[in-house]
Amino acid sequence: MGPFTSAAGFPVWLDLLIAIIIGIGFGFSLEQAGFSSSRKLAGMFYGYDTTVLKVFFTAAIVALVGSQFLSYFGLLNLNLVFVNEYYVTSAIVGGVIMGLGFIMGGFCPGTGVCAMSIGKIDALFYVLGGLTGAFLFAETYPLIRPFAEDAYRGPVKVNEVLGLSPGVFTLLLIVAAVAMFWVAEIAEKKFARPEITDKI
Amino acid sequence: MNMNPRQKLSVILVLLGLVLAFLPLSGKYSFHGKPDQLLLRALDESSFFTADQVARFVITEDSTVQLIDLRPQQEFNRFSIPGAVNVPYKNMLQKDMESYLGRDVRTIFYANGDRQANYALMIAKGLGFDNTYVMKGGLNEWYRLVMNSSFTGEKITARENALFETRIRARKMFTELNSMPDSLKARYRESKEIERKKLDGGCE
Amino acid sequence: MKNKYMNPYLAGTLLGLVLLSSMYIAGRGLGASGGLKYCVVSIVGAVSKPHAEKSEYYSKYFEDEQKPLFNWLTMIIFGVLTGGFISGAVSGRLKFKIEKSPNISNVRRLIFAFAGGMLFVYGGQLARGCTSGAALSGMAVLSLAGFVTMMAIFGSAYFFAWFFRKNWI
Repeated sequence: MGPFTSAAGFPVWLDLLIAIIIGIGFGFSLEQAGFSSSRKLAGMFYGYDTTVLKVFFTAAIVALVGSQFLSYFGLLNLNLVFVNEYYVTSAIVGGVIMGLGFIMGGFCPGTGVCAMSIGKIDALFYVLGGLTGAFLFAETYPLIRPFAEDAYRGPVKVNEVLGLSPGVFTLLLIVAAVAMFWVAEIAEKKFARPEITDKI
Repeated sequence: MNMNPRQKLSVILVLLGLVLAFLPLSGKYSFHGKPDQLLLRALDESSFFTADQVARFVITEDSTVQLIDLRPQQEFNRFSIPGAVNVPYKNMLQKDMESYLGRDVRTIFYANGDRQANYALMIAKGLGFDNTYVMKGGLNEWYRLVMNSSFTGEKITARENALFETRIRARKMFTELNSMPDSLKARYRESKEIERKKLDGGCE
Repeated sequence: MKNKYMNPYLAGTLLGLVLLSSMYIAGRGLGASGGLKYCVVSIVGAVSKPHAEKSEYYSKYFEDEQKPLFNWLTMIIFGVLTGGFISGAVSGRLKFKIEKSPNISNVRRLIFAFAGGMLFVYGGQLARGCTSGAALSGMAVLSLAGFVTMMAIFGSAYFFAWFFRKNWI
């Protein structure tokens, strides 16, 4: 029954090897989706390319649905899968900063590294900026620590907050995503910019 | 009817979502136990520790082991095995199980006798917490072997000697702890409080 | 030209399966900004060990003789580099290029790329995850933090989009 690495006592090198393999799959999927192109990614916010929405929500839902079925059939212990912890202010403020960084830089770290690997120079500068950002965060940490640790709520699950079972919430999320996909396809036709989409 | 990829995907996902929404999934915990597995579990000696083995863990203060006392809080406060943490049987599922069963230690359940410990073991294993065990015979057996036993006869083997030593020392620790005034007992217990297991993950 | 990338729904399914296998094998999701952080930590440690040990931020990565470079998240990043390269090679997309609107200069694009990266990872460290680590993986485990972070990122990007439109369209 998964997950395996911590309980089964995998040796460290195997753990890291698995990470590399998963990373390869990650990078491959991102590049195949076209996320190695900053103009394609930015297109989400100007309407001419909604690939980000489609890929993002499809991926999240596939993993969500898959993990629940695995749990049902006794193959995965969901209690041992990491749930990221909720710090209210940090999540919101960090998200806003990230949104700005995204529209300025045209990447997120995963897609940036992926684009860098196929030769995109703007991605290279993005990643260098990213390393600098991480450095800045580390150096300014003592100053912002109280802010960063404010409003801790623990690993809260959204379905618990809404009082729904995971399955019902998943269904609602799927319905919402399907609606968004439909709207996205309409938007792509309306805000189409073939002069861009043909070249990226 | 010719459907584009989006429509095909949407239909599949909505159907799967409907299945999940109406599946009898018990929210957080799903019990996995086929009858033949459950049958064999009672016969599996490796899940059971004797009171003597537990005594050994106690005197060496073995940190790879944690003892869970399933009795009600009042009984626990009156006396308990040194190092044990109290999770009353009735509250076993209400407490966040992950916090005390998901840790990297071996968990040994005990109660007064065998029944509650055995059921707790069955439930824990069924929920996926595999590193769980039972002290055979419970506190009744602990009393019989560790607290009240004595050695008769002059010639004792090295093995019997070691056993005797362990029991005497465990007996001492037990008596010492349980005869402490309540405030000191409480402080000792707090120091043994359960730490939340931190799962590995995230992107920090 | 429009068909050269994989169908987004298919690519999304593929990415979802990668995420699922990570959850199944290792009990955790994907992540990217964390990997960059560990690279910085190792560099700082290599350049100036005393500074690293004194700092309340870096010191926790050097306890118990740990090597920050040999970490799950850093390995994922190395994998992403490799996987992206393989995909690009297989699809004939390996090419040195600066992507931007034709109306701005290369220099301007690179400056914004650098600044954007800096801001994004800073924010990502604050929110304890980026789009892959917090938003995507978070949503897959129904984490509230994941949903909130995702909505903040998307909302903020839409808000600021108008101001930076010249860079893209």
